[in-house]
Amino acid sequence: MPSAESSSGPGMKFYAVLWAGLLGIVIVEVLLTYAGLRPLALTISLLALALIEAAVALLYFMHLKHERPILFWSLIPALVFVLVLFDHLWPDAFRVTSMRLPVSASSTPAGGG
Amino acid sequence: MSHAELTMQQVHGAVTEERPYGFQSKKLVMWLFIIADAATFGALLFAYGYVRVGSPDWTKPFAFSPTILNGIVMTFVLLSSSLTMLGAVRAASAGRRSAIRWLSATMLLGTAFAALHLREWFTMIREGWSPSHNPLGGSPLFGAAFFGITGLHLLHVVCGVIAIGVVTLLYRRGRLDASYIETTGLYWHFVDLVWMFVFPLVYLLNAR
Repeated sequence: MPSAESSSGPGMKFYAVLWAGLLGIVIVEVLLTYAGLRPLALTISLLALALIEAAVALLYFMHLKHERPILFWSLIPALVFVLVLFDHLWPDAFRVTSMRLPVSASSTPAGGG
Repeated sequence: MSHAELTMQQVHGAVTEERPYGFQSKKLVMWLFIIADAATFGALLFAYGYVRVGSPDWTKPFAFSPTILNGIVMTFVLLSSSLTMLGAVRAASAGRRSAIRWLSATMLLGTAFAALHLREWFTMIREGWSPSHNPLGGSPLFGAAFFGITGLHLLHVVCGVIAIGVVTLLYRRGRLDASYIETTGLYWHFVDLVWMFVFPLVYLLNAR
């Protein structure tokens, strides 16, 4: 049967090193979670590490690095564009928080007294 | 000269043109599906972030043991299944029969991941969690977000295991070639890639 991809390229040892590196990133994520960071700093750190993991998976595990550049430019910018559009929703989320009805200190449950 | 002769390279018995991506159309279709699915998961994760930011009573219920520990084990299992899938693709490309063993290992690890995940789900459901109920009294949207995101990912894992099983069987019988294993491998790596976002954003950010 004809091979679907070239048999040359990185060997399993290289992929095993990448696998170990990804596991290392996961451990770092867990350590950061319990490091006492502020919520925003933790979120940004975890997102950045997740993006690094995603890049490694895309480029090496999914072999995007060894495909023609036209594949990368056909797919990834469109996805990034969609994800950036999602970003425009964040101001609404913060506005919703400030629009919640305040709980009045003087209000009592019905039937009290 | 006809328009066809001017625009196409003619070879004996057939008229062909160069493929822009340089590989088979089923691989391009899989890439297109992956990008669309990535947008879907992106939308779900953004929706989760949206309701979390908008809920001042958001619950963070996950203890290190057993939930985060279980999540670490699940991540290890899924990453290992990506490695075995890589082994399968390489073996199939070289025409080695060991591709069957690598594929079987991938299926086993995928099934283990699904089993661990379902065990966690059943534990949470027994504690009173559901897509519309929070037993700790905080926002019920936590359950909706958690079960929605992890449920969609679990569905992808289960479908992936089934697909790998079908491809393995047909490859063993000689009805499919190595390109089908490569295409299935793309899907499986994508499932792993999504988990790289789900674990930190859904589990670690809700650790107490």
